[in-house]
Amino acid sequence: MTETKENIVNNTNFSSPLGVGGNSPLGAGGSKKSAKILVFSTEKISDPAIDMAGLLKLHYPPTVYTITVPCSSGIKPSWILYAYEKGFDGVFIAADGSDCVFGESCTEKTGHLVGKTHNLMKEKGIEPARLRMAAICSVCSESFVKQIRTFNEYLLKTAP
Amino acid sequence: MEKKPKKIGVYICHCGGNISDYVDVEKVRQSVEGEDIVFIAKTTMFACSDANQRDMVEDIKANELDGVIVASCSPKLHQLTFRNVSIRADLNKYTYVHANIREQASWAHSDNKMGATEKAIHLVKAAIAKSRYAEALETNKIKAKKAVAVVGAGVAGIKAAISLAEKDTEVILIEKEPFVGGRVAEWGSLFSTNETGQQMIERLSSDLSKFSNIKLMTSTEVIENKGSVGNINLKVKSDDEKVTVLNVGSVLIATGFDSYTPEYGEFGYATSENVITLPQFKRLIDTQFDKLVYNGKQIKNIAYIYCVGSRQTDGENTYCSRNCCTSTIHAAVTAKGKFGDINNYHFNRGLRTYGKQEILYADSLRQGDIYLQSYEDGLPTVATEGKKTIVKINDILTNGREIEVEVDLVVLVTSMVPRADNTVGTLFKLPKGRDKFYNEVHMKLRPVETVIDGITIAGACQGPKNITESVNSALSAATKSYSILSKGELETDPLVATIDPEACTWCGACEAACPFDAILKVENGKKVIAEINNSVCKGCGMCAPVCEPDAVNLIACSSKEIMSMIDALV
Amino acid sequence: MEKESNTPNGTNSSSPLGVGGSNPIKNITYDALVIGAGIAGGEVALNLANTGYKVLLVDKELSVGGKMIMLSKVFPTLDCAACITTPKVSEISRHPNITIFTGSEVSNIKKLSDNEFTAKVTKHPRYVRVEDCTACQLCEKACPVNVRDQYQFGLIGRKAAFIPFSICSPKAAAIDIDNCTLCGACEKACPTNCIDFTQETEIMNLHVKTVVVATGFDMFDAKKMPRYGYGQHKNVITALQMERELAPTRPFNTILRPGDGKVPDKIAYVLCVGSRDASVGNPICSQICCMYSIKQAQLLMGALPMADVTIYYINIRSFGKGFEEFYQQAKGMGVNFVKGKIGRISEKEGGNLILRYEDINEGKLQEAEHDMVILSTGVLPNTGIDKFFENQTLTLDPFNFVGQSDALASPARTSIEGVFVAGTATGPMDIPDSILSAGAASSEAISYLVNQHN
Repeated sequence: MTETKENIVNNTNFSSPLGVGGNSPLGAGGSKKSAKILVFSTEKISDPAIDMAGLLKLHYPPTVYTITVPCSSGIKPSWILYAYEKGFDGVFIAADGSDCVFGESCTEKTGHLVGKTHNLMKEKGIEPARLRMAAICSVCSESFVKQIRTFNEYLLKTAP
Repeated sequence: MEKKPKKIGVYICHCGGNISDYVDVEKVRQSVEGEDIVFIAKTTMFACSDANQRDMVEDIKANELDGVIVASCSPKLHQLTFRNVSIRADLNKYTYVHANIREQASWAHSDNKMGATEKAIHLVKAAIAKSRYAEALETNKIKAKKAVAVVGAGVAGIKAAISLAEKDTEVILIEKEPFVGGRVAEWGSLFSTNETGQQMIERLSSDLSKFSNIKLMTSTEVIENKGSVGNINLKVKSDDEKVTVLNVGSVLIATGFDSYTPEYGEFGYATSENVITLPQFKRLIDTQFDKLVYNGKQIKNIAYIYCVGSRQTDGENTYCSRNCCTSTIHAAVTAKGKFGDINNYHFNRGLRTYGKQEILYADSLRQGDIYLQSYEDGLPTVATEGKKTIVKINDILTNGREIEVEVDLVVLVTSMVPRADNTVGTLFKLPKGRDKFYNEVHMKLRPVETVIDGITIAGACQGPKNITESVNSALSAATKSYSILSKGELETDPLVATIDPEACTWCGACEAACPFDAILKVENGKKVIAEINNSVCKGCGMCAPVCEPDAVNLIACSSKEIMSMIDALV
Repeated sequence: MEKESNTPNGTNSSSPLGVGGSNPIKNITYDALVIGAGIAGGEVALNLANTGYKVLLVDKELSVGGKMIMLSKVFPTLDCAACITTPKVSEISRHPNITIFTGSEVSNIKKLSDNEFTAKVTKHPRYVRVEDCTACQLCEKACPVNVRDQYQFGLIGRKAAFIPFSICSPKAAAIDIDNCTLCGACEKACPTNCIDFTQETEIMNLHVKTVVVATGFDMFDAKKMPRYGYGQHKNVITALQMERELAPTRPFNTILRPGDGKVPDKIAYVLCVGSRDASVGNPICSQICCMYSIKQAQLLMGALPMADVTIYYINIRSFGKGFEEFYQQAKGMGVNFVKGKIGRISEKEGGNLILRYEDINEGKLQEAEHDMVILSTGVLPNTGIDKFFENQTLTLDPFNFVGQSDALASPARTSIEGVFVAGTATGPMDIPDSILSAGAASSEAISYLVNQHN
């Protein structure tokens, strides 16, 4: 009973993203066809693009979950680390880019927090490539889907 | 003190099949009904329908629910609807939480029903996680300045200005050219009326001048934009270098369009001296009388090549520019009527004289114009052979036969494209659609609004339009701007940042990060800490990640909410 | 309970009409009268009401929502029509400044002076007390009479005691008195006793300051083109009928052809039925049929993945925002587009249809066999609107739509000052254009109302 799922998660080296905890939507056993990706999208800019991807039926893996925030420069590094801790294979920030409704400083700030997070990830032994960021404009659905599919393939490939 | 456990209602929408065809909504319901705070969990055919909204109000009142969650389509469509349901049931609207299981589950994963269902379950659980922390919040009321800045004094801007002024609203009409009337002022004959473009603008200008509450600023451009709806500060500069500060409640953008400039050599443009664009042709026929002459030559045979710069198979302009067919045929018919001995050859890709404009096409055929339609994969070509200009086409109507016509003039029917000068777009952060024109929030529900509160768009800057369509759009935008400001006050969203005074050690990082000057340094007893100015804070959250002691959190987007959502999603 | 009140929010200056017997005519007063509660009328009513004006919204049908509420999905986004209309309808029915009269008509509109109009409003009896009806459908079950359901465009039947359709507003039953046998079974079945056969036609004198005409359009009657066989060949239907088959609140569980209930797999669309055709009295283009046919074709490809869908067209008019891309998307999905006008449709034994046409691309006459044909019928004006006005002339345009006195610079103005027009009452247009046109009419009406105080 000491080897609870929580303990395994807290004690294991985070460089092996797969096989630790979480619900595999394709059932137990067999190879996992999609990685678990957490997406941070922004309410006014990238989330509409993700909606449009659905509208246009541009399919992407169903284990990609989105949390919407007002602006990508408001994402705390601690949330990203928590996601890995809890079992997400990758985190994708669908940033506002130059379209941000709150101003141009968004791009620089988002870049800055990604840099900060990468450093924290290195400290914890989490592969920095498991965090990706791209500017997704409000109609960039195809770009979003392409990025997610590529990210998904990368995460599956780099699993041990 | 014991806090009463929360009771919420969860409603999972079928969306008439849009969701339930792919997501097993009953399974979702069963998966969440056991959660601690879920008191009732139901599925419904259309959550947004009147009947279901009434049921929700009854459920809330009968069961004394603290909040509701609806899992349905994108919040862009109905978050407001369900917040209003909460209000009608005497709940604070900020207790409402939404889950998008249509665009982001059933539709996005319509190829994997099991995956879509699992995802929907996770998304609803994440909404429940968020709902645990959702609290009643009070809005701030701020004074809204009953003034609107209209950027662009073309036909759309002028009509919008007049509409607002008629409703006792102060209007500042800003135009970068020294004259008003935009494109219409340059036009002579117009389709379906005897009035010329110039005459129409004269008439509208005269209407404009009757209003003492319209301040017209020509040769003026906007150089700075600060503030937010209700209280926007614009800096404008006139050509005499004078800078004026304007304080308005909302801004209406009516900056119009540009005409496509063909590429060098495109259908002979710039390489042949007999190839001109439609706007040039219109000017030619409006300014000549008796005989039509160009480049010293009398013009008798004219070729019109349609869809130049639109419906491109290898370019970026894949859209149809809507009004060029009508505009071109009108020019062709006018030319024939005015100059007599003219033969018009229309090299088209299927004519789009929609609605009542069809009559113009019929008239043109009756007067002897020739229409040659190309196949979708074969465009006409323009060649110069000595002094002759020949246009060739494989014509559908004669079963693909190659037809060539020697003409005196080739008119390229150029599309409407977004303005090349993107100053206004950048200043106001206007999002663009796939066709690069400014994008409205929702084509049917909110056709003149943008994602930025208080900024509306009107006329051709939103997409190709004729005069009637531009005016309809301008008057709609004016009505919208007016309704935002007419009460003289607005409610601001209380979803602002908060500072934990215990944790804050005043380092100034948040103040530096804030683009809106919403953070103040204050004394709190013995400590110096940061404080948020709630009526200025826009809720962007830029201050949150830079705080070392993690003292900053955004309401409804705090660490505890996000982390509990991550727990539910994983 | 749905609030369809008989007592207006305006003033009431004589004794209310009692039930049964002749009584003095009630006077009612509002700021604005909006005729027609479709998407355009609804939008105008909302805009005026949000500005603080009291609006009377009148519709001759039993429900608000016009044509839009009957549609499946809308082009080019494929949003579901119900998802967009029902919340608007809900907002309108709840708004404290809007009073809705369904099953009602307006006539004898007189302009007395600026900002002063009177009119006669006739409310036809529904024979149901709407405030008490819970839409439980017990009356429907009890009723012995079956007639064709006009809300499903004749595809299925309904009872004489019926709820118009599942998302109607007000959501209440009605008695179709012309087909009712007065057997009383519905009255006995009703648990709230809200069926009331003593209801009478109510006539009211209306006083308003401005009028907005938003009476919508009519569809071309395909029976006027006998060579297409509508009404004789069982498997030839109209686009509106197919719209109902595709809608989420559809009459059947799947797409099927009316002749024998078979699921079709070779479907044909015939465009420009009753449009661009002077021989049937409608020379103009109906503007929406290309797009709605492409939309239905895409939905059919989704619902019946094995089916073949062919659209026979003259020109594809995909001119609006996102339309061209929508057309290309349909081609990508495998919808066939054949340029050629259909000359004749004949029926084979078994119900299949032979379409005879000139294939423009091939340059020859062809015949094609399909198991179901949908006629994309055109948009016609709703006639008789000018007759609503008594002492002033509402000019119509050459195509009998409501005339726009300054079509380019003030598209919502009519020949009568203070009377404005919105939506398809002026001519064919799609939903976004109708909404913008309603915005323009709202602007004119509000300005007209604001200026009366000066």
